[in-house]
Amino acid sequence: MSLYKFDEDDLFTNIIEANPEYRFYVQSGSVFINKTPHLSGSNTDNIIGVTKGYMSLYEYNIDRPSGSFIRPFIEKDGHRVTLKTRKKTSYNTSLGFGDVDFGSYNLSASISRYYYNTATRTKLFALKNTLDEYSIHSPHYQYSSSFGDKNTQIVNLISIPSILYGSKIKKGSVSLKYYVSGTLVGELKDENYNGELIQVGPEGSTGSGSVAGVCLYREGFFVLTGSWSLDSNTIQTDANGNSKWIHYNYGAHDGNTIAATTVSASFATDYMGTTRTQTLTMLAHAPYGELNHSNNPTFFDASDVQGIGTGSFQYIEQPKKIKNIVHSKFSDEEPEFEKTTYISKIAIYDKEKNLIGIAKVATPVRKTEDKQYTFKLKLDI
Amino acid sequence: MAESFYKSLDIGKDVVSTRTLLHEAIPLTGTIISGTYGVANIKSYAHGMFQSVYDYPYLSSSANYIFDITTGVGANSAIHASVNASGQKSKKLNIYNQMAQVLMGYDHLGAIQRFDEDGDILAGGNKLDNVIFLNFSRLLTKDEIKKGTFSLKLGANAAYATPMTKLLEITDASGSSGFLVNSPVGEYGILFAKQSTGNPLAATNVKCGLLFYQAGICALTSSVLQQLLTTPVSASATGTATFSDLLTGSTIDTFANSFRHRINNLQFNNTVELNSSVYFCRVNHNEYNYSTNPTYLSGSKIRVKTQTSDLPVSYITTVGLYNDNNELLATAKLSEPLKKSSDTEFTIRVRLDY
Repeated sequence: MSLYKFDEDDLFTNIIEANPEYRFYVQSGSVFINKTPHLSGSNTDNIIGVTKGYMSLYEYNIDRPSGSFIRPFIEKDGHRVTLKTRKKTSYNTSLGFGDVDFGSYNLSASISRYYYNTATRTKLFALKNTLDEYSIHSPHYQYSSSFGDKNTQIVNLISIPSILYGSKIKKGSVSLKYYVSGTLVGELKDENYNGELIQVGPEGSTGSGSVAGVCLYREGFFVLTGSWSLDSNTIQTDANGNSKWIHYNYGAHDGNTIAATTVSASFATDYMGTTRTQTLTMLAHAPYGELNHSNNPTFFDASDVQGIGTGSFQYIEQPKKIKNIVHSKFSDEEPEFEKTTYISKIAIYDKEKNLIGIAKVATPVRKTEDKQYTFKLKLDI
Repeated sequence: MAESFYKSLDIGKDVVSTRTLLHEAIPLTGTIISGTYGVANIKSYAHGMFQSVYDYPYLSSSANYIFDITTGVGANSAIHASVNASGQKSKKLNIYNQMAQVLMGYDHLGAIQRFDEDGDILAGGNKLDNVIFLNFSRLLTKDEIKKGTFSLKLGANAAYATPMTKLLEITDASGSSGFLVNSPVGEYGILFAKQSTGNPLAATNVKCGLLFYQAGICALTSSVLQQLLTTPVSASATGTATFSDLLTGSTIDTFANSFRHRINNLQFNNTVELNSSVYFCRVNHNEYNYSTNPTYLSGSKIRVKTQTSDLPVSYITTVGLYNDNNELLATAKLSEPLKKSSDTEFTIRVRLDY
């Protein structure tokens, strides 16, 4: 085994920014994430083991009956480390030292909706400072302005958990579509990249060009206040009346019951998230004339039994013959010997020569003395 | 501002490293392995060297890979010479050698070490030459299989159609205290077979294989469904073939199918090591009682100290950890601000998991 030191031209740190697309489709109180149908299995009515319309955070217990779930556990000891779902009081009072504390991997996340038409609007009020801070981008963010007072007007707050967008929603990627009986009656987009959700379609529709709400990109919220009628049909949502942006996503985990006329409304929410992954790229070189010897037992000719010379003061191993693996088209003639190895893995060591990582190549790479290679290793950190 | 904004940690007194073990219970009910989804969750390959088992039909993106099944016949096996062309002789030998050299290593002459029944290589003893391998996924074994928790129940009734009316259980009963360390891949324990239902074993608590904890590999002698039983079991739905017959005359895939058919239950716990550094950040009574926060002042006066007799007060919200060059490395936030005045002292315990 040979050790080489990376120099400064061999190591690069980069950040890869990705923008995964997400889609929520809500119809008749059912939520579908990324066009994935609700699959029932042999043991559960939703194979991923969480309530329909939610995504599973671990996806460990696929179609398992209750009682045979993979689950984490930890023993209570002096470190006083426990699972995050265990409350402090309960940890102190319900568990004795040596007791086993079980957790669950059937954790879930999904879009949710909060409809505010009364004075109590806790979650919205918690966003007051955030909304006011973003008013430098658009006056529509302001909690109270000439465009309306979010403390008194009807507000439809759509919440997206960060696991479904990453560090922020990509500006300009948001699209909210409102369908009635399969016909598009309104579409909002943040086409100005400033968080304003502007009605852009259908062409010539009521309210087209108006701002129906704002998007909090980093926090994952759509704050909808548009209260104009999008079409003339009467359907049951928060109120029995016309479709409006304040009724958008009705039935998306908001606890509302679904009436017969509600089923004609459906909602599609599209956006792109942002994930940033740091990567370390390492270039490992296999130079000419090096790495052409192996300590692997198969490197030597098995037919050449190693001779050992021993005496009162010595123990001498005789040299062993390296197996000639050079290809020949002739079976009766041995080709000219050439030192050949096959590189199958590259190990990374720290300064103290502790092994900290191994990179394997898909197929072993043939290395002879007249060949040199550079292996590109990439590590997500 | 306090007289020392940056306060040095005393490595000997203020920093301590700890290790916590987190476990997961992994139950793999036999029906997943042997029938719930037919063969939709079983992936066979063109090379025919092993079979992969998933927890759901593997064409679904929800499916998780659980383990591989394969078998090996060593060159020293009594049946090695009888393995015929359709029995994948060379592949079974290669698999045995590959697994043995990785798991058992080499002897002093450079020859591959055979699997030893009791792990005592120097003492000789019985070797395992016909071995069934279960290679568990890293997703399930994590850092290692928890010692003393492995349990595999096999249906040992002679009739192929009703395998589960008699059961034997294989455990690493001695693993929690009696594991061995003479393997290149870490620690391993001896597997013992005991009676579970219907007393199928000729003798109870017999050694039947090895369990490699960090590698997550179970090496089981094929005798467990043959010589160790009072009546060797049938390995074929249509004929009278035994598992020995499958080793000599059938493919690895066929052998794996018959073995899966007899898995009643499989469960173990795994272990994840959580390494932590705990930093005890000590705040003395005369430190951190002032702030440079703009809101600390009102009209060029300290907001909380309007009378000369008032004690200075601050609220600690965040602890910053810096390196030697005073570059911020990490911040720890308190769940609620901590009131600090000159008549109080704190030790804030900051834990960093990695």
